[in-house]
Amino acid sequence: METDLLIIGGGPAGLHAAYVAASNGIKTIVVDESFSLGGQLRQQTQRLTNLPKQFDSQIGITLMQTLVERLTDLDVTILSKHTMIGTYKDGRIGVSNGQRTIPISAEKVIVTTGAAEEAFVFPGWTLPGVMTIGAAQIVMNREHVIPGKNAIIIGSNDFALEVGKQLIENGVSLQGVIENEDQLIGCKEETIQFLKEAGVPIYQNSYVTQASGAGEVEKVIINHNGSEKEMEIDLVCIGKGLTPILEPFEILSCDFAYEKDLGGWLPQYSTLMETSTASIYVAGNAAGITNLGAILLTAEIAAISVAESLGRQCKEEATEKRELLWQELYHLESADSKAKFHGRIKLMREFQDNVDIQLSKLFNMSVGGV
Amino acid sequence: MAKQYDVVVIGSGVVGSSIAFHLSEGGQKEILVIDKDYPLSGTSGSTQAWVWVHNKTPSWYGELSMLSAELYPFLERKIGDVEYKRTGGIAPFFNESDRESALRLAEKQAEVGIEIDVLTRDQVLEKEPALSPNIAGATFSKIDGNVNPFRLVELYIRAAKKNRVQFSFYNPVIDIKRDKGIFEITTKKEVFRAKQLVLAAGPWTKGVGKLLGVDIPVKQVRGQILVTEPLAPLIKHTIGGMRQADNGEVLIGYSKEEVGYDRRTTLDVIQDTAKMAVEYLPDLAKANIVRCFAGVRVIPNDGQPILGEIPTIDNAYVAVMHSGITLSPLVGTVMTELLIQGETSIDCDKLRLDRFSEFKSYV
Amino acid sequence: MDASTIVCKCEEINIAEIELAIKSGANTFDDIKRLTRCGMGPCQAKICTNLVRQIISESLEVPLSEIRPPRLRMPLKPTRISALVGNEVSSSVISVFSESAPQEDDENHG
Repeated sequence: METDLLIIGGGPAGLHAAYVAASNGIKTIVVDESFSLGGQLRQQTQRLTNLPKQFDSQIGITLMQTLVERLTDLDVTILSKHTMIGTYKDGRIGVSNGQRTIPISAEKVIVTTGAAEEAFVFPGWTLPGVMTIGAAQIVMNREHVIPGKNAIIIGSNDFALEVGKQLIENGVSLQGVIENEDQLIGCKEETIQFLKEAGVPIYQNSYVTQASGAGEVEKVIINHNGSEKEMEIDLVCIGKGLTPILEPFEILSCDFAYEKDLGGWLPQYSTLMETSTASIYVAGNAAGITNLGAILLTAEIAAISVAESLGRQCKEEATEKRELLWQELYHLESADSKAKFHGRIKLMREFQDNVDIQLSKLFNMSVGGV
Repeated sequence: MAKQYDVVVIGSGVVGSSIAFHLSEGGQKEILVIDKDYPLSGTSGSTQAWVWVHNKTPSWYGELSMLSAELYPFLERKIGDVEYKRTGGIAPFFNESDRESALRLAEKQAEVGIEIDVLTRDQVLEKEPALSPNIAGATFSKIDGNVNPFRLVELYIRAAKKNRVQFSFYNPVIDIKRDKGIFEITTKKEVFRAKQLVLAAGPWTKGVGKLLGVDIPVKQVRGQILVTEPLAPLIKHTIGGMRQADNGEVLIGYSKEEVGYDRRTTLDVIQDTAKMAVEYLPDLAKANIVRCFAGVRVIPNDGQPILGEIPTIDNAYVAVMHSGITLSPLVGTVMTELLIQGETSIDCDKLRLDRFSEFKSYV
Repeated sequence: MDASTIVCKCEEINIAEIELAIKSGANTFDDIKRLTRCGMGPCQAKICTNLVRQIISESLEVPLSEIRPPRLRMPLKPTRISALVGNEVSSSVISVFSESAPQEDDENHG
């Protein structure tokens, strides 16, 4: 197959990039390993705030429908149930549907493969009944199965707390949020208030010392402020956060950098969202763990850069659009975490010597001034 | 003052570690092994690790391989279980017209004592029922087998350490000088001095040789290998192209590309290797490939091992060869003889560096 | 934490085994992998990467920013051999048998 643009990953970033690119007349293929598009939006029943101006506040599932439906009349080919498995010597990308492997020759590639959930180790973590918080959400909202009766959550970031709320709404008894630090990591007041009102104990300065049971989790021992507490639990959800998926970038020979606030190791990229490998772009959580607004904006920046380099947008227009998008991204992301945006700037600075003059103004302001 | 050793070996792979271990058995020498990374990070850790003899030609090369294979059971008694298995080796052919050259090979190798059976299709299938019925026949020898390369290198090093050999890892050699007959080896971490110096850095020997002022005529050749998920026992023998490990994984691949030190895998070769896999073993079609890896192998320009003194530099030696796993026990033994007694028990003249007409030394 | 706690689910490698590999001098995930098989299983270190990096960081007192993830390999997802067989011809793949026939060249992966 041949195309102008190949997008790896049909989550929010991939779908939005496809829309922006195809609207500029770019022939696009989107590859996604799942049966249906949308990525993590598919199970997100929470209301999404902090979206870019062009989107109304809505829940993940409806946003997903919007993002998919917008592609209908555009030159976008969707290859669902296809996974990128590797590359050829000449730069083509091989995708497989389990039956055969198809080489795709693309002028430009945007990789939007997102993030993986971090694992967390304690004795008994390999028992059935221990799962990531994201897996618990998928079980509830996609498969409509209640993942357990009596649950605890390890970790207290916003996403973990949000899924905690959903667990309660689905009739699960949430018996505690276990946080290693001396305060909650998450900061969404509404969710925290909900958990308080539901009477969920928050164990700070705490960790799980052991989970045990015959063939599945039945009991968990936690250390709370130095003393042990035993709990009858059949569901342990690990919410330790996300880290960018690196595999496709390594196969594409992209250089990596480490930014703790963006989730650890990630591909280096420029203000165009182009990686160290020419014509390979990155967007979404793969470019640093962030909120949905920033995910969509990085996708748009990448798509505009692709449009510019394929001659579908003139330099001036593209530069101006990117600057506006970066500014919006700065506001949306800083609302959640200033450190994240600083991490992003540091990453781009270290990679790119000649940051656009206009952009560098924006960056100077945000590095020094905020 | 830099620490001085009797012998410094550069390279801690299957060749360098074997030389260090065998040298240490005598106990008289102070020995240091330097590796630019950690053992198994290079060629020795990215191999199918066949101990392969029967179709090594010319036959004198086959003979060396056979002698080395014979040493493996003794080596295991000394350093421990390296999972050496003399499975027997099968090299299938698909055209009946190949039988003649198979018979010629068997005849040649018999002269040096390598026993080869040229099997009919039915005989092959009797030995390995999973092989394709499209096979016309195969050469077979009991002498071939395989080893666990990770255990091999690990146990060489452990045994050498027990004999007080020193190791310096993650420590690339930056410069080599000679001062009044003593080598001065500058590494990233420190400077070492040595009376005798052995270059055993596999594909990287080329660069180390340059530091010493000699051209080691070797090429870097990439090989890509596919690894399946663990499968129920499928093949018992080492087959030219694949083998099944103890944990059930089948390792598949036999490819050569001259791309320098590039260790990436490519779908071009992976897909071609997959094709080869099902041509040999149709049942493999259903197996999942879990990972692929590539190794940079070293191949001397004429294909044969380079072993012995570096002719223009007193007390400098080289040991570099493609079939390092197969030849490892023999090379360790022979190099020890050479470094201690100045001569070897078997004739190694054919392996000398100055056999190359293009041999260049700047010293 | 209990040193017998599993870190790599696929190959059932525990904390103690990883710490032993570090003690014997291995400093990187890849070097630990070759000594222990940690991360070599079906998930290809997707789960244990950061767990092992954490152990290296603590054992060697090196910041996480200096500990790289392991080398990541194709195929990015376990893939059936039948799905890989295609029409791509690379000519780099050779038969061991046919190689022994010409006298001047003779190789294998040993």
